[in-house]
Amino acid sequence: MKTSPKIILALLCGCALTGLAQPIQRIVIPKTNNLTQLIPISVIGFSGEADSVLKFDLSVLGLELAAPDKADYLVSGTEEGRLAGRLQQAGAGGGTIFARIYSSGTTRAQAHAFADDIAKEIRDTAPIFHSRIAFVHNMGANLELFVSDFDGHDAVQITHDGSLVATPAWSPGGRQLFYTSWKTGYTQIIEHEAATGKRSVFAGYGGGNFNPVVSPDGARVAMILSKGGSPNLYVSDSNGGNLQQLTHERDEASSPTWSPDGREICYVVRSGRAGLRKIGVGGGESAPLRTGILGNLTSPDWSPDGKSIIFTSGSVNFMLWVVPAAGGEAEQLVAGEDPCWAPNSRTVIFTRRVNNNKILSLLDVPTKHVKDVVQISGSCSQPAWAR
Amino acid sequence: MKTSCLVNIFFVGVALTLGSAGCIHKPDDHITILGDANKPPGPVAPPVTGGGGTPGPEPGVPVPPEIGVTGTNVGDIPFDTNSPWTNVFANHTEDAATLKADTVYFDFDSSTIKTSEDKKLEDVAAFLKGHKADALRVEGNCDERGTERYNLALGERRALAVREYLANLGVDPRQIATVSYGALRPAVKGHDEAAWSKNRRGDFIVLVPK
Repeated sequence: MKTSPKIILALLCGCALTGLAQPIQRIVIPKTNNLTQLIPISVIGFSGEADSVLKFDLSVLGLELAAPDKADYLVSGTEEGRLAGRLQQAGAGGGTIFARIYSSGTTRAQAHAFADDIAKEIRDTAPIFHSRIAFVHNMGANLELFVSDFDGHDAVQITHDGSLVATPAWSPGGRQLFYTSWKTGYTQIIEHEAATGKRSVFAGYGGGNFNPVVSPDGARVAMILSKGGSPNLYVSDSNGGNLQQLTHERDEASSPTWSPDGREICYVVRSGRAGLRKIGVGGGESAPLRTGILGNLTSPDWSPDGKSIIFTSGSVNFMLWVVPAAGGEAEQLVAGEDPCWAPNSRTVIFTRRVNNNKILSLLDVPTKHVKDVVQISGSCSQPAWAR
Repeated sequence: MKTSCLVNIFFVGVALTLGSAGCIHKPDDHITILGDANKPPGPVAPPVTGGGGTPGPEPGVPVPPEIGVTGTNVGDIPFDTNSPWTNVFANHTEDAATLKADTVYFDFDSSTIKTSEDKKLEDVAAFLKGHKADALRVEGNCDERGTERYNLALGERRALAVREYLANLGVDPRQIATVSYGALRPAVKGHDEAAWSKNRRGDFIVLVPK
């Protein structure tokens, strides 16, 4: 009873969009639609915020805006309080893949939802356009923690300590943020409840306490502590208890990242040159991650699907690379540093240095297409994607 | 006020509902585009010696001290973690001036104490031995080369190398706290070796009981 007006509307709009007597089309995806290729797509009929959000989102996934006669796909529709959108195959007799109505929420939210549905059809990726990021913003003498939409929109300052913060990391589902704080004059790991803003010291041992990373199941936290006299990798339960030292490096261990199954951690050790290693959380010896390249290899991030590890090489001219998680030959991506995967295991957010300023950008890994997020003035770095 | 603000921050957009997301003309012959699982694997690289950086020591072999401290190397010196650390020096006044001239400098990507810095550290050790009520904070810093996460650990290792050196000269390590700023607190602005060489450093802050 309550839903019938909506259904009628949807049917009316759908018919208006797709043509009344149009038969169901057989959709043939051209074989040239390779994962690693930009796919031309045309967006028509929208204006203002809906138009800009749609175009931004599609571009993030390597869908390149093109004129209708040059496009493989056509995106059309209208936004008048609710968004009516259609995705169809381009060309003569191009059939409709779907036509949907998006109501409720803001125009931005509707456009993001439509873009997620398009992404699912064309790229077969999990939705990311409603997800959020945390990052560090340089406020002059201080660094403060910010949270925003994945595209940099709606940035909100989370800490107001007038101090330094670094290495933000989300717990699964974005319930908590863990980060490094210098508020006391020494480094501490802070646990920050998202819903209440309640903060507590998660680790404040003698020496350094930094770079917390929550395991994908939320049960454990990896971190770098130097309480033993050298910066090494430790793991504790999510309440801080059951602390175990995993590495015993004489130089320092840094930059841990969890495998999705929570059984292994990839991290960096400086031993002559910075390199990537992996170690089992349940014990055992560490082993180098084979990448086929030499150089200072830092800031690894393990993809949520478990297949790949993205990392940074270099010391001045930083470069992103991706390597199979089991090791192999790394593939060079683009200039940048400190990458973090999106929940779709395809998109990455990272830091680029432009005129000695740091800005956040999004990378579509298979196509190497780069799109800057909405920037707030000043330097931003260390992005962490909630996933 | 703060709480409600934060609630809004984190949960905007979660309540979005997609009304009437009915699918019109959903084709039944929809071909799913292949996902990442079907991406052909890249060529397998031949084994590269040290491909992940210089290989670490063999399993089970004790890691030898590598920090170039002259004299007997004391190795890792654990911190006393019996009491909440951040309260230990809470009631101390910070004095950045007294040992300012003794700031020690490091080579690129290194935490080795250079012989050129020996005299400064002997000076610092003598000061601490003569002021046993005081404490010292060693602040480890890096130049901007290196990612931020890496520099955090490198800066800490530099501060720890200084702490070990001072302990080796007879200073009580319980007098010495360390903190790393990574590359967040450069002494000199600039993007060349002239600036970088001044930013790879360990600063000394004397902590005087109030």
